[in-house]
Amino acid sequence: MLDGILIGLTTALSLQNLAFVMIGCLVGTFIGMLPGLGPMSAIALMIPIASTLDPAAGIILMAAVYYGAIFGGSTSSILINAPGVASTVATSFDGYPMAKSGKAGKALAIAAYSSFSGGVIAAIFLLLAAPYLASVSLAFQSTDYFALMVLGLVAVAAFAGSGGLVKALLMTVVGLMLSTVGTDQTQGVPRFTLGMLDLIDGISFLLLVMATFALSEALLAIMRTKGGDTDASRKQERDATRELGSMAVSKEEVREMVPVIGRSSVLGFIIGVLPGAGATIASFLAYGTEQRLAGAKKGKLFGKGSVRGLSAPETANNAAATGSFVPLLTLGIPGSGTTAIMLGALIGYGIQPGPRLYLDAPDVFWSVIVSMWIGNIVLLILNLPLIPYIARVLAIPSRFLLPLILFFSLIGVYFVSFNTFDIQLMVIFAVAAVTLRILDFPMAPMILGFILGGMMEENLRRALLINDNSWSFLWERPLTLSILVIAALVLIVPIVLPMLRKKKTEMQGD
Amino acid sequence: MGKFFNKDRVGGLLLLAFCVTYALLSQDIRLLPIQARAAFNARTMPEIFAVLGVGLSLLVIVFPSSREPISLRQFALGKCALFLILMSAYGFTVRPLGFLLSTSLFLMIGFAMLGERNVLKLVAVAVPIVVLFWLLMTQGLDVFIEPLPAVLRD
Repeated sequence: MLDGILIGLTTALSLQNLAFVMIGCLVGTFIGMLPGLGPMSAIALMIPIASTLDPAAGIILMAAVYYGAIFGGSTSSILINAPGVASTVATSFDGYPMAKSGKAGKALAIAAYSSFSGGVIAAIFLLLAAPYLASVSLAFQSTDYFALMVLGLVAVAAFAGSGGLVKALLMTVVGLMLSTVGTDQTQGVPRFTLGMLDLIDGISFLLLVMATFALSEALLAIMRTKGGDTDASRKQERDATRELGSMAVSKEEVREMVPVIGRSSVLGFIIGVLPGAGATIASFLAYGTEQRLAGAKKGKLFGKGSVRGLSAPETANNAAATGSFVPLLTLGIPGSGTTAIMLGALIGYGIQPGPRLYLDAPDVFWSVIVSMWIGNIVLLILNLPLIPYIARVLAIPSRFLLPLILFFSLIGVYFVSFNTFDIQLMVIFAVAAVTLRILDFPMAPMILGFILGGMMEENLRRALLINDNSWSFLWERPLTLSILVIAALVLIVPIVLPMLRKKKTEMQGD
Repeated sequence: MGKFFNKDRVGGLLLLAFCVTYALLSQDIRLLPIQARAAFNARTMPEIFAVLGVGLSLLVIVFPSSREPISLRQFALGKCALFLILMSAYGFTVRPLGFLLSTSLFLMIGFAMLGERNVLKLVAVAVPIVVLFWLLMTQGLDVFIEPLPAVLRD
């Protein structure tokens, strides 16, 4: 492990990679701060640039953008009460009231220290857990991988939100369907190309991500600009440019934060490791847990500018972001939409994440882990002092910002393929994505389905070959069966539990 | 009728249409006789996905999780449609007009469509961004893109 850390340190601390961490954190903070644009859009926008770099540098850049975007999201939650993404919604509960009472600087500092601590502690857990899990998963066969992918897809759908399980599953299947467009890998047969040569290589992953996230987000924002500049946007401009106040955190506040950070880091990391659960659930769980633990007196402060209430979700969402790298690095299964995009980028480099990544590309494996520490340090010492200046981005009028986002999304894809057909395809996907988002259909499961679709098909084909074309491996191999049973439970429990609870309440009512 | 067509049902119907089309197209995948007899061929997964997709779409339609009606009144649909046309036009013009002109036009029209009326501002914001971006890509990242219109080349 020590050798690995040294490899990681050497790679991540090279001047070039250090510069990428800094740029990534800054750009990520900048993009993450824009309401609506979260880590997924931020990473997607970076892929065209990352694809010109070597794999380690590219992944380091994207990982830095990831933490930067989470930090940026927290900043807009605190300053203007506009969480960029769901995982920073809980941050706004106490961050915004604190900012409104003239303590915006303090709120940002508490968020930064908590994010830093959560990220660093979780990176230690990752360092310990990832190599061990990777060595265990070396024993996995195609059948197990197929089952794992089923689990990953089901888990992401199951955590998609209350009542939306079937919709999320349907979107996963849509993603799987889109992954079959193009030439079949094993038999060389064109599928769903509609006779178009441009579709022979399939749909570009970058194109799909850009269209469904960055482009559709900007279009939705355009659709909401009905009536021009509103009072809300003028208020947002005022909030973003107000005085932040002191960034100092008192000893008493630090004493209050320490145990919260400890608990929320562990909680966040564990939730992050679970496929599909992710930073949003982690931040809300941590917030709820701390509210319960705070007692009657301190608990009343939650929602009114509580230090604990701000520190808990900030720690947990960063710890969960780090935790979500565990299944990606060790099993090659992304645990969230963001890591799914990173998986797609790794595959683009010709690197197959999974247990062999640890052996085949140790520089990538270790430098990602080490860069997490460096990224968190950069966020703390570089971004925090710069926040008053970076926050000015929130004051840029949307009439300038939105066309620019559209441009960066379109040109990002065009610069990779140099095919104008891709721009037209993006427009089509953007229309579909905007429509589905208005109808409250989630996009992340679709991306996950799209990325895992090809691998799932390949592993199933291989499993059938090994098993003499028999499907019996699904129930004969204990590990495969166990994973499939877990997948079934993940699917059934969210449906059955509310029904049982409802029945119990009815019985109590009687 | 309005109550029947809630968000879930409309989405479910749209995706059902997509899944049925996908299912029909999956039958167009050409297989050699030897492939057709194999337990796993190029049609296997598409057929599984088609069945799952149709089944799940029907579930969404029959058992919608929310009965929230669709309300498009708060959305500027026309503006969104115009931006879609603008993006598509950008795709068609980026080669013949060159990067600098087509992108500057795209941005200026975009800013204007969102309410910026000062022509000086339109040019002052769009042109430097486009030139800087082009320089960054060509000089910094070695990604070349034709800057000038076709008529001015050579």
